[in-house]
Amino acid sequence: MGLGNVLFGRKKLKDAAGERLFAISTARITLETELDLKSTGAAGVCFKPLSAGEFVRAENELQELLDVVANESGSKVERRGDELGFEWLIIRDQDFEDLVNSVHLVASELESRGFGPQLLAALFPFESKGFDAKRVYWIYGFKRGKFWPFVPKGEDKERDNAEELELKAKLEQELPIESDLSRWFGIFDAPV
Amino acid sequence: MKRKAYGRDAGLTLRMLFTGSLLGLLYVFFALALFYVLNAGLVLMLVIVGGLAFVQYFTSDKLALRASGAKVVERDEAPALHDMIERLAGMADLPKPRVAIIESEVPNAFATGRNKKHSAVAVTTGLWNRLEPQEIEGVLAHELSHIANRDVLVMTVASFFAMLAGLLTRFGLYSGMFGGFGGNRDSNNNSVPVWLIVVVVSVVTYFLSQILILAISRYREYAADRGSALITGAPEHLMSALQKIASQITMIPQEDLRQVETMNAFFIIPTNWRKRGAELFMTHPPMEKRLAALAEISREMGRPVS
Repeated sequence: MGLGNVLFGRKKLKDAAGERLFAISTARITLETELDLKSTGAAGVCFKPLSAGEFVRAENELQELLDVVANESGSKVERRGDELGFEWLIIRDQDFEDLVNSVHLVASELESRGFGPQLLAALFPFESKGFDAKRVYWIYGFKRGKFWPFVPKGEDKERDNAEELELKAKLEQELPIESDLSRWFGIFDAPV
Repeated sequence: MKRKAYGRDAGLTLRMLFTGSLLGLLYVFFALALFYVLNAGLVLMLVIVGGLAFVQYFTSDKLALRASGAKVVERDEAPALHDMIERLAGMADLPKPRVAIIESEVPNAFATGRNKKHSAVAVTTGLWNRLEPQEIEGVLAHELSHIANRDVLVMTVASFFAMLAGLLTRFGLYSGMFGGFGGNRDSNNNSVPVWLIVVVVSVVTYFLSQILILAISRYREYAADRGSALITGAPEHLMSALQKIASQITMIPQEDLRQVETMNAFFIIPTNWRKRGAELFMTHPPMEKRLAALAEISREMGRPVS
């Protein structure tokens, strides 16, 4: 927060914290064995595009980036916008470790081009089939380097908060989970 | 590769620093003047005014919402608004504030709250209905920046001493009227009575501090505009939003506008828009200057990385 920020107003957005992303690679085992939640083989990286010239120029580089990632990891990458003005890079890979690596690669490529502050979150969908079928998202917030669960339910943009808190309790030891619940924002129109 | 920090504005920072220092100096002179002229009454005054400022600070969010007729809404009552605010709060690295709606055709918005965890953002139905989503985003990001910059705290601290000066003026006047100022009974009639000195000093301090406080308020507005550009990455939408809001407000007769003076500091456009007056007495910078500042930010964002 800083005294300087209070006295003079904030001068820049917080930079992305990508390192703790990898925790979900190991947490995946707990999710599968204890909670019967399997990765859907896809993940998304959400960022807010700048409208300025710099970013528009970088758009062309962005395609390069996607090709780099695809070549290095064997994952498939595609781009999509959403209704709230954010952009998504959707990564598909059946191997979860490769998937997480690709997500990290995308994030660090964006950071190296100077767009770290534009990164908002990474989204990892999981699902359990069978009797108790449900969809659970683990969201990684780049601003604070923490995860939180997101379980949408019903038609009307509702969340299963009880389930989310249970997931938090179960995964607390394995994942750095955001302790401030008012920062657990949801992504209702998730493109993955 | 580091991006150019377009969030920086050395000129604005310097002006804020200068004004803040002037205000500080003013308070020092005022305190010195008081020290030599008064004795016991000062402590009581400080306690009262300190208490008032404390209460004002702590109830600022509830008070502001109540005064403006804002109604807190949950997600199911306004899902799109909640979505937008959540994402922007995520970008701004803020906890999600409470969301409130004001029934009013006049497009406007404000933010309030003593700290990040007890904050609220309110928008009018007029703003939600009349502006494009990206423009609304720009306005919401401006309000979130007020929260991030802790403007409620800053303005409360700044106005604390103005309140003190105002109260002492009244205290001095009453004492003078009832002749109850200790230690002065035996001075001869030609010397200036103590209470008069207190009044004059207080009035001058109050007047000057109001001017400085207004200047600080204007600088905070520039800072919030800049914060909005940082969060959305698209200052042009805030620019068009400001223009739309301003033009709406001028069309509406004066009688309908809210007269909540201190609240004006946190509305994105002050509601007493019509009474333009000298810039010195405005809580918000003039529209042309705000737009010019945003245009400059837009140009900075477009420049290549250094």
